[in-house]
Amino acid sequence: MSVATRLNRPPFKRSPVGRALTSQWGARLTSYVVFIIGWQLLAMLVERVPGPWETLDFIWREVSGGDLGGVRRGQFLEHFGATVPRFAIGLTTSFVVGTVVGIAIGSVSFVRALLSDVLLVFLALPAIIWAFLTVMWYGLGWEAPVYTVILSATPFVAVNVAQGVRAVSPELHRMSDAFGVPRNRRLRSLMLPAVTGYLFTGLRFAVIIGWNAVLLAEWFGATDGVGWRARLWYDAARYRGFIGWAIIFIVFIFLLDGLVLSPIQKRAFRWRKSASDEVDLEHGLADMEAIAKTPFL
Amino acid sequence: MAEAATLEGTSRRLAGARLRRASGVVLGWGAFVGLWAFTSSVILTEFTLPGPLKVWDAIWVIVTAGSWADDFLISISKTFMGFAIAVLIGTPIGYLMGRAGYWKAFFHDGVVGAGSVPGIVYAMMALVIFGIGYLGPVLAVGLISMPFIALNVAEGLEGVDTDLLKMSKAFGRSERQSLRHILIPSILPFAFAGVRLSFAIAWKVEALTEVFGSSNGVGFQIRFAFQGFSIPRVLAWTLMFIALLLLIERALAVLERWLFRWRTWEQEE
Amino acid sequence: MATLKIENLTKTFHAHSKGGLPTRAIQDISFEMSGQVFVSLVGPSGCGKSTLLNIVSGVDTPSTGTVTVTQDGKKARLGYVFQDPRLLPWRTVMQNMLYVSDLHEEEGRANATKYLEMVGLEHAHEMYPGQLSGGMQQRVGIARAFSVSPDLLLMDEPFSHLDAITARSLREELQVMWNATKKTVLFVTHDVLEAVQLSNRIITLAHGGTVFDDTTVELPFPRKASDPDFAAHQAEILGRFEVMEAERAAAAG
Repeated sequence: MSVATRLNRPPFKRSPVGRALTSQWGARLTSYVVFIIGWQLLAMLVERVPGPWETLDFIWREVSGGDLGGVRRGQFLEHFGATVPRFAIGLTTSFVVGTVVGIAIGSVSFVRALLSDVLLVFLALPAIIWAFLTVMWYGLGWEAPVYTVILSATPFVAVNVAQGVRAVSPELHRMSDAFGVPRNRRLRSLMLPAVTGYLFTGLRFAVIIGWNAVLLAEWFGATDGVGWRARLWYDAARYRGFIGWAIIFIVFIFLLDGLVLSPIQKRAFRWRKSASDEVDLEHGLADMEAIAKTPFL
Repeated sequence: MAEAATLEGTSRRLAGARLRRASGVVLGWGAFVGLWAFTSSVILTEFTLPGPLKVWDAIWVIVTAGSWADDFLISISKTFMGFAIAVLIGTPIGYLMGRAGYWKAFFHDGVVGAGSVPGIVYAMMALVIFGIGYLGPVLAVGLISMPFIALNVAEGLEGVDTDLLKMSKAFGRSERQSLRHILIPSILPFAFAGVRLSFAIAWKVEALTEVFGSSNGVGFQIRFAFQGFSIPRVLAWTLMFIALLLLIERALAVLERWLFRWRTWEQEE
Repeated sequence: MATLKIENLTKTFHAHSKGGLPTRAIQDISFEMSGQVFVSLVGPSGCGKSTLLNIVSGVDTPSTGTVTVTQDGKKARLGYVFQDPRLLPWRTVMQNMLYVSDLHEEEGRANATKYLEMVGLEHAHEMYPGQLSGGMQQRVGIARAFSVSPDLLLMDEPFSHLDAITARSLREELQVMWNATKKTVLFVTHDVLEAVQLSNRIITLAHGGTVFDDTTVELPFPRKASDPDFAAHQAEILGRFEVMEAERAAAAG
């Protein structure tokens, strides 16, 4: 069969069970099953790696309470309660500061020339450096995590906003000139929708980078919080606890993305292609495109 | 005559713009270093934030000590090893995703999810699986780069122009020829972009993993400096690493532009 | 002499959505063409012209009926000019020509040079398609199709994406090239003027993919639109289209 015909292969008939298994949901389900089996196999091969059930059991006990080897359990909410405000304050600050800086860079060419190279260095600085510096500056406590989030996430917001400002097509500006569209309407109907997309991508980045930053800072320089808790288990060489927390970190970011960010983003982008039920690559690719547009990142 | 005058005017204006931009860049660096020096000497203290000169001294000490090249080489070799693994695994996954709806659904959650996992989780996972050693950072780099490469290959494959494939068939070309002249050239720019993108993230994770558990490399040196409470040395190692990686990144960008020069002509039209 | 024989050809497409009706692009078409002829296939859009070319070239398969292309009893070699240039953007003009060539490197190069010269692109060997204008790209497409020495040359509305002036000069070049090579050509178009200008035989397809009319054009080359005979021919064919539309309207009631 040739390449051309293989690409648009006609659908062939299958049994109902076969159809269910080969459907999109079947494929997704299968992938999760394969993942869990793979994890189990890895756990059996490498002694240090805890298996899925062990880990799930740990997470349950960490949430529900109880006692394990002298360490008081059930502090899940307590540590989340410590981390989330740090994360939220840091994120909000970097969003506001990043937007202001981004608009300045995007619209004033002198500011762009002044700041673009500096921004580049800040983009390239790993969060761990900020974690180290803030810990040395502020000692153990709540400041190091908050400032680490701000310092690592702000450049990403700024870069994305700046690109959004610059991406408004000059043709549409000229069209607006031709029709004499007033300034405030132009801002609302032309500039804002153009920048929102970039703003959301920036926010998404900020969330991922900020989460990583808060965890790192808590790992090295806090006395409570989820990052500190994960370190506790790591230092005690209880890898079950450590992997359990890693899973909690991932689940948290997924829930935040799936329940908060994606719906807002979809709402903001109703004017784009209508959303289909089909699994698409766009979600992942939109983020990657944003990175692609980020200079030198 | 008039035309020559306008041309001259245009070139003068262009030169002016270039001069302004160059002066902005110089001013930008000047302001950055100045602000840094001001912050360290007036707002904070030289002890909490060492100034540019102090960091420069630290860089000088590291460079003259001589063994810095070994740490850089080992960190970079780990990064590229991880990349090689990511390409080896990511390319077939991307190929399947781009070719069949079933595989797209199968890998979608894992690949997109893996792309948004915080770097610290990868660093930790690599440590648990391999412990302290060469393979930890390699695994972390592989894990964080693989989704970028897979998604990019899949996108490249989905974007293959089926009209070109039909053309190929109408002229009686073999499947191998189509693969070599149409499919692979279509995917390559995307795969390359994937590598370049993930490189920027990958080296940070590589350094992070070394910070957590390694006995050599730049990340280890940063951690060593941190444990000695030497902020100048932390900054010196970091800035040296950033400078080197920006250079590599620049080189990759130039290579990319040269390899896919047919694309810029396409866009210009 | 290449012979194209189409017998009772029907092509039905699968319904795209559940419950949708399958579409019939071509319905029971038969015709034969052979020798040094330039045949135009004219019809309104959606009457299955491009589908027919795809089937003849082997890119698509017929639902029922047969299509045979033979050259002295053997399988014939095909050349194809598409609506869009369809060049590999990552290969230079010369590499694009060599891509479809079965000759050895040196020979292929000489052969490609010859045909690129015919379309006035001898200076563009090392350029990428993206560096060429739309008209120049289509010229490469035409040179490519002629360069494989096809027994049968298929052309699918090759000038429809070009501006009127470029299309006109390309049509003139095509006339010259055809007179020099006398290939068997099947040319699909929706432009009656173009068909009358280029071909010796015009087959008209109706909506629903049936042959409505089959006529020969015996005017000397080069043909000029200002020639009264030319205008008469064009008017006659356009008149048939009107009859066809009227019949269709009557059938729709």
